[in-house]
Amino acid sequence: MISHTALQTTNRVIAAIFGGYAFTWGLSALGITAMVTLGIDFHEAETGMTLVAFLVFLGLFLWTFASASMLRVWLILAGGAALMSLIASMLQTSLLS
Amino acid sequence: MFNSLRMSMGWVHTWMGLVLGFVLMICFFFGALSVFDREIDRWAIPDTRFEPQPMPSFDEVLKPVFEQLKPHPLDMAATAERVIGPLPDPATMKLESVYAYTTHRDPVLRIGGEFGIPNQPKDPADDHLHVHGWATVNPTTGETLSSDALKIGSEWFYPMHFNLHLTWKMLGYWIVGLAALVMLAALVTGVIIHRKLFSEFFTFRPWKHVLRSSLDLHNITGVVALPFHFFFAFTALVIFASNVYLPLSYTMLKSLHDQHEQLEAERTGLPHDKSGVAAQMASVDAMVAEAKRRWAERDMPGEVGYLFIDHLGDENSYVSIYRAGSDRVALVGEGIHFKASTGEVIREQPPRSVVSSINEFLTGLHLQHFEHWMLRWLYVFGGLMGSICIATGFVLFVEKRKAKHAKACSQGSRIVDALAVTTVTGMVMAALGMLVANRLLPVDLVGKGQWEQNIFWSIWALAFLHAAWRSSPVAKARHNPAWRDQSLLIGMLSLAAVVLNWITTGDHLIKTVFTDTYWAVAGVDLSLLATSLIAFYAAAKLRAPVVEQKKTDTALNRNKQVNAYD
Repeated sequence: MISHTALQTTNRVIAAIFGGYAFTWGLSALGITAMVTLGIDFHEAETGMTLVAFLVFLGLFLWTFASASMLRVWLILAGGAALMSLIASMLQTSLLS
Repeated sequence: MFNSLRMSMGWVHTWMGLVLGFVLMICFFFGALSVFDREIDRWAIPDTRFEPQPMPSFDEVLKPVFEQLKPHPLDMAATAERVIGPLPDPATMKLESVYAYTTHRDPVLRIGGEFGIPNQPKDPADDHLHVHGWATVNPTTGETLSSDALKIGSEWFYPMHFNLHLTWKMLGYWIVGLAALVMLAALVTGVIIHRKLFSEFFTFRPWKHVLRSSLDLHNITGVVALPFHFFFAFTALVIFASNVYLPLSYTMLKSLHDQHEQLEAERTGLPHDKSGVAAQMASVDAMVAEAKRRWAERDMPGEVGYLFIDHLGDENSYVSIYRAGSDRVALVGEGIHFKASTGEVIREQPPRSVVSSINEFLTGLHLQHFEHWMLRWLYVFGGLMGSICIATGFVLFVEKRKAKHAKACSQGSRIVDALAVTTVTGMVMAALGMLVANRLLPVDLVGKGQWEQNIFWSIWALAFLHAAWRSSPVAKARHNPAWRDQSLLIGMLSLAAVVLNWITTGDHLIKTVFTDTYWAVAGVDLSLLATSLIAFYAAAKLRAPVVEQKKTDTALNRNKQVNAYD
């Protein structure tokens, strides 16, 4: 029988690693497409985002462990990731057309 | 789940640090060795013990070498899995692009190229498919080095620190990436959970109980080199970001990226594709001379670090010549591009933008190909400080729990301690055993490099078995004799490596330091001797009588700071 605490801990670890990664991915995609929309060179935008991305990931990673509500953590990480990826895809489509 | 920020941060520090600490130990130790990877190569391949060479003449030395270059069997096999239908005979494949790369520390030159294939990829997004070939050339003779001569420094220790040689599905890169993120988290959480950060700069009490003194050492190595540790873990992620960790331009943003490449080709005049019309190549040496003239004109005379030719044999072929960054942080730069058929300049790279300057500075500072020996040694010490910080972390983990675990008849501390022995001393033994094997195996042995790799893994596996077998006293809250055993072995192996180098090559320290100075080999030998001394000293100290159980308990009770988040 897995204890309640073990499940909670596993939830936090998964949220910190995978949720944090998904959010970082979405943010980078959004950042790059938004900057390209503003006329910035693609590789410049990509490089700029990689310099920011892992600091954001680090912040999210620690926040996941410090936060009181795991529901809020998952809503922000997964919801943010999905929303930002969607907007990034839409921006890409409009840039290519 | 956690009652306070300090509790939750303490949990992250302890448990994530423990689990990924085993990986971080490998990254820090082999990363420290990678600072002198070329020098370790010289030690391991005595035929290449001569002075570093500048980029040789393309027309006279490299052209015939590239004509001999064949697709590498390893990449043939890897590419065959990604394409539809069988690959053509490697002998008939046409070379489409070539490169040559060297630094101020390389007597030998790395070259390679891409061979065109007619096959369609299995995954339509997997375009730009080529089979790669690569080789190492002696620029003084134009001869290719045997691929059995493993460059232990740059082909074994160096990749170990970023991919653990687990190349299946890039698994090693991802494990190391997660470890780098956890390293950043461990540094931040470490600062949060320690109240008296400033005083820890100056606190080291080696005469105290092992728990107290290893906590001091953990703090001092963590805090003093904190910017160093943070910088390396962070730039590790940045270096592999666009290719491995956040490959947006190969996946989600591929269309945008491909469109950008086309626009970029139009803007810079460097053809993105072949024209289909065959053409001869003008003298590349003349282009190199022109590039050097232009660098000198800009008041930055320099050597060629990287040479690249695309669309070989086609009218659209171009030659890119980059300046070596020996005198500054960025690896290579100031690219000048020539039309291959005529030798006229197509484009001179403009100065870098702010964002790419920052990026090149950060990655260049991690990869350190610049010429500054003092700084190189500081890197080694930084890497070793990181290793000590992680190793003492393991000791702390075990020392804090072993009494409790012994009472509860748990094997927890024993398992962690055995794994710690394996990743600390076992890892060093594997590296040293590989060097000893390198000197013992005959030079012309077929598959010598593969033998050395097998010996490396075997010694590491044996070190684990030994640690697991010898660590039973830990479960009774006593010291683990495996630390002492393996320290002794490290002392003997490193001494043996120095002696064997002398016997098999005649390069003893008096020669390499004084009479016929060759610092690459002398440096490796002296480091091995230092390792040997430290290991014997550690083994002698570990022979000291074991601290009594009662004392351990008092130390535990006194140590509220350590126990706060247990």
